Amino acid sequence: MLRRVLLLSGWLLLNPAWADEPLVVVPETSQVNITTDFEGTDLKAVGSMRGPADLVIKLVGPPQIAKLSREAKLGPFWIEGETQKLGGAPSLLFLYATAPIAEILPQAEREKYGLVLEGVPVRLEPQLQAHASDDWRKAFFRIKERQGYYHEDDTAIRVFGNRLFIADMRLPGDLQTGTYTVETLVVKSGKVVGHDVGHFTVRLAGIERRVWNAAHDHSWLFGGLFTLLAMLLGFVLNAFPFRRAR
Amino acid sequence: MDVNIVLILFYGALVGFLSGLVGVGGGFLITPLLIFTGIPPIVAVSSGAAQMAGTASGASYLHWRHGNIDFKMGLILLIGSWLGGGFGVYLAKVLLRAGQFGNVVVFLYVILLGFIGVSMLIESLRAVFRIAAPAAVDAPAKVSLLRKWMARLPWQTSYPASGVRMSALGPLILGAAVGVMTSLMGVGGGFIMVPVMIYVLKMPTKIVVGTSLFQLLFTTAAVSVMQAGVNHSVDPFLALVLILGSVLGTKLGARLGARLPAEKLRLILALVVVAVAIKMVVTMLLTPEHIYGMTVEVQ
Repeated sequence: MLRRVLLLSGWLLLNPAWADEPLVVVPETSQVNITTDFEGTDLKAVGSMRGPADLVIKLVGPPQIAKLSREAKLGPFWIEGETQKLGGAPSLLFLYATAPIAEILPQAEREKYGLVLEGVPVRLEPQLQAHASDDWRKAFFRIKERQGYYHEDDTAIRVFGNRLFIADMRLPGDLQTGTYTVETLVVKSGKVVGHDVGHFTVRLAGIERRVWNAAHDHSWLFGGLFTLLAMLLGFVLNAFPFRRAR
Repeated sequence: MDVNIVLILFYGALVGFLSGLVGVGGGFLITPLLIFTGIPPIVAVSSGAAQMAGTASGASYLHWRHGNIDFKMGLILLIGSWLGGGFGVYLAKVLLRAGQFGNVVVFLYVILLGFIGVSMLIESLRAVFRIAAPAAVDAPAKVSLLRKWMARLPWQTSYPASGVRMSALGPLILGAAVGVMTSLMGVGGGFIMVPVMIYVLKMPTKIVVGTSLFQLLFTTAAVSVMQAGVNHSVDPFLALVLILGSVLGTKLGARLGARLPAEKLRLILALVVVAVAIKMVVTMLLTPEHIYGMTVEVQ
């Protein structure tokens, strides 16, 4: 991490032409591997800007299809009632800023750059009446915020000497695989004046990846081999202590 | 979803411990405990079936070595339970698409655990307080009627290992019913199979235990393969941790069980089963904290 900051600082000092660029962001990594013991990770994005300004970093996960259900009453019991599919919304949406976004950008700019947590377009299947779909939409955003997949944080970006900045981003343990976008915006006087987009990939790795691929690409073969393995393990675990006891 | 591996190991060990203490399969406790943890019902049911295939393999081998398996009876039961299991897996798929699998599983479990728990509680309380059971006049009559009805069914055949003769349709239907239950609930069905084999099919107890285990092993194994193939719902890590926990728990329970009075042990298990059933009913009666729930489709 320190090496990246030093390299970036040196590059800025030695290369004045490059320093004319309004914004440069270097994500800490281009790939996050999910292994069996993955419990989330901390990511940093290091960047530089030309002078004093506010910053907004938008971290967007790949889109996902979610199935929402609404509890309904059946006699005295609460059961899972109506269901609705929602597609198109990002699996994760983190908004980081140097100040509350509503204070540094007017509503129109926030909407233009997708900086409103509950303003993400969501596709409902099947199509519903506007008032009905609004309930499902609101429920979706409530759940996403409650689960920590959609949130806004105005403390995660540290700025050094109005030039360098470091953003600390905490990724949760249960991540959707795919391409994540890190979009950084420089804000001055209520306007976005600089813009940079970076990407990183989240993928399954190690045994987790092999098991996942096998379970989905060759599900019957996987089921057969795994069940045999389970039977063998149970047999060995059952038999082993008997032998030792003799 | 993220689950605490130590908690799953503990659940496996707890159910294994109770199974070892009292000598029951315990599959009917694993699935509700996994559902309480937040694991989707279809994953709980399917991984539970894989876990039972694992834990039943060692015990089945021992019964085979001791000649306690009636293979002819076992194979007919197995044909029935594979057909029932296959039907159950596709029924699970249909219920999943309709968003009703969780509801069906919870209702089935409330009925099942309520029935098993209350029956065991009454029986063990009677044993602990030495109260004689009321003379059951109707039960033997019903069993006798059932046996007469079975004698009229086609495909009568003899089962030399068990020393009985009956229609192949009897074990076939029994196996099919248990197979459907394994697919929908992740249970082995020993609690139905064993009494029916002893009281209705009149098989010797020793052969009943071995044959029931043989049928359970291959039914849960087939259901595990089918759930993985059709619904992609077997979580291998979950199942392996459960096997590890339950085998260790069973051994500990069996050692302790040999030193404790059987009727008091059955009372403990009955109380646990009733508590789980009550927890499920209370959860369904209370207004949920969140009216909306969400699951993410794996892509």
